[in-house]
Amino acid sequence: MRKANFIVSGTFTLFAIFIIAISLGYPPSNHGVPGPGMFPIIIASLIILSALTLFIFTLRMPKELDTTIDLKSKNVVNVYITMGGLVLYFVLLPLVGFVVTTSIMLILFIRWFSKRPWWKTILISVLFTVAIFLLFGSVLNVPMRFGLLI
Amino acid sequence: MLLEVLNSVFSVQIFLFIILGVFTGICIGALPGLTATMGVALVLPLTFGMEAAPGILLLIGVYVGAIYGGSISAILLRTPGTPAAAATVLDGYEFSKRGESGRAMGISTVSSFLGGVVSVLALWLISPQLAKLALRFSAPEFFLLAVFGLSIIASISGNSLAKGVLCGALGISLSFIGIDGITGYPRFTFNNINLLSGMSFIPVMIGLFAMSQAFSTVENIFTPDQVTQKISKVWPSKKDWKVILKTAPLSGAIGTIIGIVPGAGAEIGAFVSYSQAKRSSRHPELFGTGIPEGIAAPEGGNNGVTGGALIPMLTMGVPGDAVAAILIGALTVQGLQPGPLLFTEHTTLVYSIFLGMFIANVTMLVLGLSSLKLFVKVLSVPKAILTPMIFVLCVVGSYAINTNFFDVGVMLFFGILGYFLQKADVSVSPAVLGLILGPMAESNFRRALLMSEGSYSIFVASPIAWVFVALTLVTLLGPVVTERLKKRKVA
Repeated sequence: MRKANFIVSGTFTLFAIFIIAISLGYPPSNHGVPGPGMFPIIIASLIILSALTLFIFTLRMPKELDTTIDLKSKNVVNVYITMGGLVLYFVLLPLVGFVVTTSIMLILFIRWFSKRPWWKTILISVLFTVAIFLLFGSVLNVPMRFGLLI
Repeated sequence: MLLEVLNSVFSVQIFLFIILGVFTGICIGALPGLTATMGVALVLPLTFGMEAAPGILLLIGVYVGAIYGGSISAILLRTPGTPAAAATVLDGYEFSKRGESGRAMGISTVSSFLGGVVSVLALWLISPQLAKLALRFSAPEFFLLAVFGLSIIASISGNSLAKGVLCGALGISLSFIGIDGITGYPRFTFNNINLLSGMSFIPVMIGLFAMSQAFSTVENIFTPDQVTQKISKVWPSKKDWKVILKTAPLSGAIGTIIGIVPGAGAEIGAFVSYSQAKRSSRHPELFGTGIPEGIAAPEGGNNGVTGGALIPMLTMGVPGDAVAAILIGALTVQGLQPGPLLFTEHTTLVYSIFLGMFIANVTMLVLGLSSLKLFVKVLSVPKAILTPMIFVLCVVGSYAINTNFFDVGVMLFFGILGYFLQKADVSVSPAVLGLILGPMAESNFRRALLMSEGSYSIFVASPIAWVFVALTLVTLLGPVVTERLKKRKVA
């Protein structure tokens, strides 16, 4: 947890510096009324203060209270692969179309997660995709036809 | 007005939506890993094409059902279906070990109903009065109210206050994106047209609450699902009724009060009710061994939160918990602004919500007592199939708001971020408070200074303002003082 806390405080500090750097370029206060940059600077300062507090508390944390965070086990790697798959799905979705991309995404994930027979996996995936397509496209009038295919 | 409300609620369409909502909610709540917030976030896109009353009541049905549904897996599997049912596990599972899971479910169902009804009554009685008071608020009072709401982050931050504040500040920072409401100056938009109108907070919430949760489920996706027990004799015995009637309404009242506090959710309501019941019991040592009070108290308490959370949301636009925050989004999509004016301009809708919420609780009782076996079967739906389907619902839900793929990207980004924040033991709830209360605080702070021509004394010029200042100080300093007193006692 120590390592994670250091990463959290470091990342948030960088984020706050980024906010302050941009906010300083905004129009200044006018007749005592704060400009658009004042609140972001206040909040960014609060972030730096909290990140610093977290950093100091973590430094003082006794080693026996430290816990490890699982970021490399097989289970977590599965999550990374899933995230990668979903990013790819997000990229292909507007290009290819909802029904085809979603059906393929579901088939691959369900097959990977459950090891069910192919025919069952394909049936579940296609039926669910078509149901969502019809529900949102026809009943709720959300434009679901996009991409090269459907 | 009464006739209008009755006409609005007593229609086949509304009844069907409430039943559908409660049914869906119980199923979602029963499945470990799917929370009430996630359920409401996933169902929200379905309401975009509906009128306000059926849409909001569908979501309230899901909320009420899911908070109750969490007890099913808590009792049967020793795994709370939602965090709100974590306290129910302590005694609930002991019943199952003795083969009395049906009895435990009956106590849970009736207690949840009574807790929910108490909270609806409070919602009905308190909200109109609070809305009248809120009509007297102007910019300084709304600013201080938002600051009070944000100060609650101190008590919902989990193990680390610093991490809670960081996450809350992240939420506020997101609210800066877009055209500044007062000067019209574009902030943090980076010439991206999608950012000009600001960050749509529904994709952020779907990402933080639903997608990140689904990622966490993937970690254990290859672990076989647990086998469920058979259910028999759900209706509580005479002896159990006595305990339920003594415990559940009081727990419901405690839950309602906790629900009113911005940011404090059903999980806290359940634990506080449980510990209160234990403290006031003649046999506190029996808690945790499977006694009816151990189920009636947390279940009355968590369903008590449901109505309480809607009180600040409807009257002042301040969410009582994460679900209420999503409901603010649902109302905004319908072109309605939660706050005191909702009570004067949309009175029928407000009272329809009250009556509809009562009907949702009755529906929960009827479905819970009559169809428990069906809900138990839901537990056997494999997560290997359910999780990919949740991915699709998250994507479609985010896309449907503005029919915009940018929102899907936002949802995915916050899903991944939420997963890693959970790993680092950072609670994501403060981010929601920040995202909703941040703009309220900023715009009213600047408006107040505009009114006073730059004089800060406007923030302490009215008695209401002083009340909020005092509440904020109590909230911020309360935990520190309590901690010091505890240390002194130990010394």
